[in-house]
Amino acid sequence: MSELVLSGRAPVSQDVIESMRRTRGGKIKIAAQSKSSLAINLTIFILLGLTIYAFLFFDYKSINFAQAVVSTLDNAKIMFGTPKLSYNTIPGVLNALWVTFSLGVLATIYGAVIAVFGALFCAKNIANPKVALAVKSFVAFIRAVPTILWVLIFTVAAGLGSVAAVVGLTFHSAAFLIKAYSESIETMDDGTIEALRASGASYWQIVFQAVLPASISYMVAWTFLRFEINFANALAIGAAAGAGGIGYDLFMAGSFYFDLRELGFLTFIIVAAVIALEVAATKIKAKVR
Amino acid sequence: MPILEFRNVDKIYNKMTQALTDVSFTVDEGEFVTIIGPSGSGKSTILRCINRLVDATKGEIVFDGHNINRADKKEIRQIRKKTGMIFQHYNLVDRLSVIENVLHGRLGHKSTISGVAGHYSEREKENAFIILEKLGLTEQAYKRCDELSGGQKQRVGIARSIMQEPRLILCDEPIASLDPSSSKIIMDHLSNINQTMGITCILNLHQVDVATKYSKRIIGLTQGRIVYDGPTEDLAKETIYEIYQSSEGELITDVG
Ligand SMILES: Nc1ncnc2c1ncn2[C@@H]1O[C@H](COP(=O)(O)OP(=O)(O)OP(=O)(O)O)[C@@H](O)[C@H]1O
Ligand SMILES: [Mg+2]
Repeated sequence: MSELVLSGRAPVSQDVIESMRRTRGGKIKIAAQSKSSLAINLTIFILLGLTIYAFLFFDYKSINFAQAVVSTLDNAKIMFGTPKLSYNTIPGVLNALWVTFSLGVLATIYGAVIAVFGALFCAKNIANPKVALAVKSFVAFIRAVPTILWVLIFTVAAGLGSVAAVVGLTFHSAAFLIKAYSESIETMDDGTIEALRASGASYWQIVFQAVLPASISYMVAWTFLRFEINFANALAIGAAAGAGGIGYDLFMAGSFYFDLRELGFLTFIIVAAVIALEVAATKIKAKVR
Repeated sequence: MPILEFRNVDKIYNKMTQALTDVSFTVDEGEFVTIIGPSGSGKSTILRCINRLVDATKGEIVFDGHNINRADKKEIRQIRKKTGMIFQHYNLVDRLSVIENVLHGRLGHKSTISGVAGHYSEREKENAFIILEKLGLTEQAYKRCDELSGGQKQRVGIARSIMQEPRLILCDEPIASLDPSSSKIIMDHLSNINQTMGITCILNLHQVDVATKYSKRIIGLTQGRIVYDGPTEDLAKETIYEIYQSSEGELITDVG
């Protein structure tokens, strides 16, 4: 081994010099490939341009900005400072909350069950590569269409109401969870699967004895995240697809009665429910280490 | 009686990498054989060809009278049932208990349904505890595997493979991640299993001194070819340098 000179200028061979990339200023580059960073820079640049363009050409009508801010704050003060129910009763609201909650739960459970099996056909380390690609592409397509749209599509077949809401929500949830679950499965150590394969275990034995136990905690975390999303979607869908629930009450209070106080009260109830759910989710996740 | 026979086996990965070239050897029932050779020489490939985790490209491998290359899916499961495997990184299911991992050794013997459900007979569970006791793991039985030390994990790996009631145990660098004293415990257990239960053992090792201490027969592999196959006492220093393609003073292990 020749000596490596670390202080002062080492004699550097031509090959080494040629393998260095340099910036235009002549400094040696150290970041990896630049093709993707070019794409990122370009994207940021275009987005920035679009944002500036949009702000310049907004139609502001004749709104006085200062006045608009003041009356918005005023409305917020009425809404959250003096919440009051006048069109709904407390039991009615709680019942509506329960309906929304149930829509979210049902869609999440159906979605999760479908997704467990979907993910098995989709995770690189246990699935047939061709099947995996087919499932992945199909699922990506489902995910590309927003949940609300799926619900509306299903209302064509099932009519406005909770059935279309659950089916539509399930559809998108399953697609989302297939991706999340399969990625959880892919992070698993291949050696564990190989060890059971080497002992003569069959595919389904490996799935239930190694793959699911090893990835269950990730799967539970993803499921709760999806439930949160489904709860929010169920709120929106209550109004959009006539599925009922607290989302529908919110829509009526806002767009029909123009009752800011009612709106405030409902919002507080929803916030409380979301916090309660979050606390419950954290507790359960801690149990499934 | 030979339990395993390699006849002119070649293995080429992806039509590119020649991992094994014309490998032939026979292992008798009850033998304790160690394969040594530099990194990339094809040691793991040999073991993996035996239980068909990889398929040999050319030649024949006969295990217990069955030609492995021609085995169909069902026969492969049958062969795998009879061969245990122990890995450098243990490859346990970390989130399950020690006893559950040991019982995984039974999966090959069970119907798919009862294996999926994790349903084991009382007899199997008792056997698992007897094996754990032999390996000094009784107190760990209900611990999760991620709470164990490396040496303990490897003992669980051994227990799992014994649970299979195998004819042959393949060990791919079983002590490469362990300290010297845990290594000794593992090697003593393997040697003990070989002698008391009569299970044939084939090991890959990086430590030449360990190999010569524990096994009566050594196979030396260099670039996918067997360059030495014979009794340990006939293994000359020069042969070891040839296997590792180096000269005196370049190896870190003392091969005295
Ligand atoms: N799955 C694979 N795909 C392609 N090439 C492989 C694969 N597995 C091994 N090889 C190649 O085959 C050759 C032999 O590898 P092998 O793993 O059998 O060596 P080894 O003797 O076990 O090495 P080590 O001591 O480092 O574990 C190497 O050149 C390796 O790159
Ligand atoms: Mg190896």
